Amino acid sequence: MKLAPVDYTILAVYFAFVLGIGWMLRKKMSTSGDFLLSGRSVPVWITSLAFIAANLGAQELVGMSASGAKYGIMTAHFYWIGAIPAILFVGIFMMPFYYGSKARSVPEYLKMRYDEKTRTYNAFSFAVMTIFSSGISMYALGKLLQLVLGWDFSASILVSAAIVLVYTFLGGLTSAIYNEVLQFLLIVAGFSPLAILAVAKAGGWQGIQTRLGAMTLAGGMSGKVMTHAWTYMGSPHSNPMGVELFGLVAGLGFVLSFGYWCTNFLVVQRAMAADSMNSARRTPLIGAFPKMFLPFIVIVPGIAAVALARMGVGYSIPLDANTHLPNYNLVITTLMAKFYPAGMLGVGLTGLVASFMSGMAGNVTAFNTVWTYDIYQTYIRKNAPDRHYLHVGRATTIVGVLLSIGAAYVATRYDNIMDLLQLVFGFVNAPLFATFLLGMFWKRGTGHAAFSGLVTGTVAASLTWCLTVAEGKGGILGNLHTFPSAMAQSFWIALMAFTSCFLVTLLVSLATKPRPEKDLEGLVYGLTKIPEDRGSWYQRPAPLAVTVIAILLVLNIWFA
Amino acid sequence: MLDLRVPSGWFFTVLGLILLGMGIFAPDTRAALSDANVNLYSGLSMLVFGLIMLLLAWRASRRAS
Repeated sequence: MKLAPVDYTILAVYFAFVLGIGWMLRKKMSTSGDFLLSGRSVPVWITSLAFIAANLGAQELVGMSASGAKYGIMTAHFYWIGAIPAILFVGIFMMPFYYGSKARSVPEYLKMRYDEKTRTYNAFSFAVMTIFSSGISMYALGKLLQLVLGWDFSASILVSAAIVLVYTFLGGLTSAIYNEVLQFLLIVAGFSPLAILAVAKAGGWQGIQTRLGAMTLAGGMSGKVMTHAWTYMGSPHSNPMGVELFGLVAGLGFVLSFGYWCTNFLVVQRAMAADSMNSARRTPLIGAFPKMFLPFIVIVPGIAAVALARMGVGYSIPLDANTHLPNYNLVITTLMAKFYPAGMLGVGLTGLVASFMSGMAGNVTAFNTVWTYDIYQTYIRKNAPDRHYLHVGRATTIVGVLLSIGAAYVATRYDNIMDLLQLVFGFVNAPLFATFLLGMFWKRGTGHAAFSGLVTGTVAASLTWCLTVAEGKGGILGNLHTFPSAMAQSFWIALMAFTSCFLVTLLVSLATKPRPEKDLEGLVYGLTKIPEDRGSWYQRPAPLAVTVIAILLVLNIWFA
Repeated sequence: MLDLRVPSGWFFTVLGLILLGMGIFAPDTRAALSDANVNLYSGLSMLVFGLIMLLLAWRASRRAS
């Protein structure tokens, strides 16, 4: 693929604007709270889009179109079942405690609700995880640009990292959040024409159904399996994803998605930056509207690509240079090359770079806050004046970016280590939602219980992985069960982790001394005053959530 | 606080103008698989979006002052 001067111009315009936004916000940073928490003053429409954008990294865009090509519209479950219910839950039920407790981070909430060791466990695993996920995503983007455009790997990651560093260093969390909104809009502008053009060329949704039908029938599955999200969930063998209804709904829809959207500080931080309790609660709910429709611009092009490849119009799924198997990760960029002329191509690729930056800035700002408040202020220097923590926050931005770059180079050298790390973090995260659920809705839950529950959950997750096999992975201690796909395995690992953490936390809580109720005010359901909502329907969380559910049902029935 | 509608409005206005210019003055710049003048239409929509953002920001700043 070759870029024209106009494409580079567009990329340069984008760089100028993100840096400009950081520059304009630099003067507002006078306390550590301004820098790390946005001074809790960001308007709700901005936090809502940032809430979605921080999660929409380059890996997600590339991965979702790849999954669309592999599994069809079922991939939308990662949005509809695997995100929306959890997003509604965090907005309606959990935000009153996060925002109302005045905690500055998710680990700090754990400290207020449980104890220091539970917070430390969460803070450390979160800090390490954000660095590595930012590094892995940097690596993925660098490799992709190298493969598609022939750009130098080091040059592309260093330039993008430097730009993220400059604007987060200048304007802190506010700058990251403001830029995430710009990046989100650009991603939509750069990707939605592709969805329209690719689907139109493939003969519309009808044409895609016919072409993919012939393909899946020949492969021994129903002809409608790529274009129906629910019909073939009865057995893992009747759909290309290899998952069944219970594993999907309970594993992905409940444990994994609630664990991510409700406890991951990366996204929760965006809502906590909102200007009022009402705005904080509405942040996820308003974000849910665009989130529901993202499958149409990130997944559908992948599905259309497979149909196009069967039409003999001059598009084929790119093959991996070494294995000669289809490399679905290249679907989105090859489609752009075929459908976008010089000019629009620049917008599309800039959208991809923007998604990478929004993901990375999300990681860096969350890391900053957790490091400064939960680790530095707790263990290294307790009672310094606020100016000191502002400087630490600023310095941590640099360190965070440097560590991410380091992680990206680790990934280039040791592919397997990164796989292993991701697996381990999966284990650490899977039980978290049980801890929060019991913490927020059961005043009897205790600190010792939460900590032992988390550790047990992690152990249970790793044991499940060590005792089961899927796609040749896992089973290092024996094989009690073989899963039809790695995805099914990960759903079940999450389920085991959640259940064991829930039970252990419950039992140990009953055996340990409860905390006095007056310590738990503002932290637990029943001991917290939730402010009454006033105003029109769109200013109140509950009617917003009902609207989201109604649209979600229509989408699911439409594509059932 | 900075009104984000201003920079994002300008951003899409500039992008829209670049693409619109391409669509009008280089209408033969086409992609391999598309017969449409993609730059013209997407440029036009970005320009409209950018101008709407600027309009909204302008109205809000007038109301505030």
